[in-house]
Amino acid sequence: MLLSFVISGLGVGAVYALSGVGLVILYRTTGVLNFAFGAIGALGAFFANEVLNAGYPAVLGWLCSIGAGAAVSCLYGRLVAPLLAPRDPVVRAVGTLGFALILLGTMGWYWGDVPRRLALPSDAIFFEISGTRLTLTRIVALGFLLSVIASVTLTLMYTRLGLAMRALADDRRLSSILGVRVISVELTGWLISGVSAGICGVLLANLVRLQALHLTFLVIPAIAAAIMADLSSLAITAVAGIAIGVIEACLTLWPLLAPYRTAAPFFVSLLSVFFLAFRAHQSGRPR
Amino acid sequence: MTIAEAAVSDARLEPPGPGLSRYTDLLIIPMFLAAAAGGVAVWANGYWIVTLTSATAIALAASGTALLYGQLGLVSLCQYSLLGIGGWVALRLSFAFALPFEINLLAAGVASSVIGMLCGVPALRLRGLYLALVTLMLAGGFQVVIGAWGFPDGGAGFFGRADASQRLLMARPAIAVSNGAYFLYSTAVLAFGLLVSEFHRRTKPGRAWALIRAGETTALSAGVNVLFYKAWAFALAGFFAGVAGALLAGGVGQLDGRAFPASESLNLFALTVVGGAGHWLGPVITGLLLRAVASLFTDYGIDGNIAIACFGLALLHSLVVAPSGLAGQVISLLERFGRRGKGGA
Repeated sequence: MLLSFVISGLGVGAVYALSGVGLVILYRTTGVLNFAFGAIGALGAFFANEVLNAGYPAVLGWLCSIGAGAAVSCLYGRLVAPLLAPRDPVVRAVGTLGFALILLGTMGWYWGDVPRRLALPSDAIFFEISGTRLTLTRIVALGFLLSVIASVTLTLMYTRLGLAMRALADDRRLSSILGVRVISVELTGWLISGVSAGICGVLLANLVRLQALHLTFLVIPAIAAAIMADLSSLAITAVAGIAIGVIEACLTLWPLLAPYRTAAPFFVSLLSVFFLAFRAHQSGRPR
Repeated sequence: MTIAEAAVSDARLEPPGPGLSRYTDLLIIPMFLAAAAGGVAVWANGYWIVTLTSATAIALAASGTALLYGQLGLVSLCQYSLLGIGGWVALRLSFAFALPFEINLLAAGVASSVIGMLCGVPALRLRGLYLALVTLMLAGGFQVVIGAWGFPDGGAGFFGRADASQRLLMARPAIAVSNGAYFLYSTAVLAFGLLVSEFHRRTKPGRAWALIRAGETTALSAGVNVLFYKAWAFALAGFFAGVAGALLAGGVGQLDGRAFPASESLNLFALTVVGGAGHWLGPVITGLLLRAVASLFTDYGIDGNIAIACFGLALLHSLVVAPSGLAGQVISLLERFGRRGKGGA
């Protein structure tokens, strides 16, 4: 019984984790916490839905979603983000909230607010583990998560681009003086974030539902995962995201807690922030 | 440019003048709101009076958000949830004890203030972004909890839920039973809230906030208790939100648990920035944008999603080129006309 809920939670958890990783990558590169991540993913999912409804293969749908996510993310990263770059991190985050509202309004106007489901051919393929079905879509979600974490970690550790990204994360102005091409490196961060958003959009539209408002604000549990990792560690973000998905699913088993199961990420992240605040207080160093 | 620098560059945040003159210009707030409310009471139909009543409640909640952002650069993304908490407490007390409306109003304010502080104050020790995130998590949590609990509607027990046929409406104050009178009552409460906020800005807390805004090290060396004054601002903002929730509950009679998603808190913050966080007129504009503009779009048959996209554009515009928001632009325009008038004379 519990296993089926764990498996069910793994899929959504993997997408939360992937979203959280996308957020942390961008934050580490540019110092921007992207509130528009969910809206960018939703836009990608709507494009994918159009392609699939037109009878094209699923791979094309995936590519369209990833392409749309990358394109709008880079558009913001190139046109608007540099204008806010010298401002406080919280103002830069609020800027992405404006972008999220633009995308949300546009999607709601064009595609409407009626919830629908994005069906993928991979839903029909499944494996049985102790009598519980594990669909290929959920395996794809976990696969994407692992490959994004591995590729980004290797890029950050072993390439010149990764070195430039880490330098930017430490000090934007000094990096610029040392010859780091700030705009293009930051744009790479926006590109990676947009690609992650495109992937997450399709997966969430399939595993949860395709609705602009819902997908836009599904970024909040992903932010919770990122907070638990102090907006810095990709691995901890991934583990926290998966844990959120699994805990959410497993709480369904307890009737008393079931109505509050989707609040789990918020309360856990609140506790982790209090822990960070306590540590900051103990060490006497502001974080 | 940091938030503090942006805020200091805003002419509206310059310290008020010396002596009594720092208080006399506060009279413009009740005078402006009384004139506007009188006009609405005379000319508006029932639909618009109800819409503008909820706009006054939203404006009061926005004044708290504006206080935090405009004075301290703190971003609170849970203000709409605190409004919901205030509404819940007011409804519960009203049905359970039939207390006078004003007592419910105060209790709602205190409850929201305490809950907001319990969650927000630990985050005040961290970077500004963390306060934004903690408050967002609080908003997310409240969305789930209120979705499960619902708002009290006259039933028994802690949750106060009643069967559909036995649902009650919250009693309004005895002096404001009709929609028109309740609108004037809400406007008076809004005026009082704005006055309290402006009074704080012009007295010791305002000076402490200005020092903190200039730099925490500066404030500490000047003997300001940074955490206390930040917490004070947070408590005041929570109080305004709670009172706003009670006003909203009194206006409609009941509240719907589905109407308090975390996204509403994000919208409220976005529109507070658009309205202008450095001037008392800003929250009034925010209330109108959130309630009246949406109703206006509906009146003209325009998709409400267009309004959302416009709000997003306006937010980006405010952040990039107009940090003082619409209020700042209106005031600048009036000042320009004033100078031209004096020059012409």
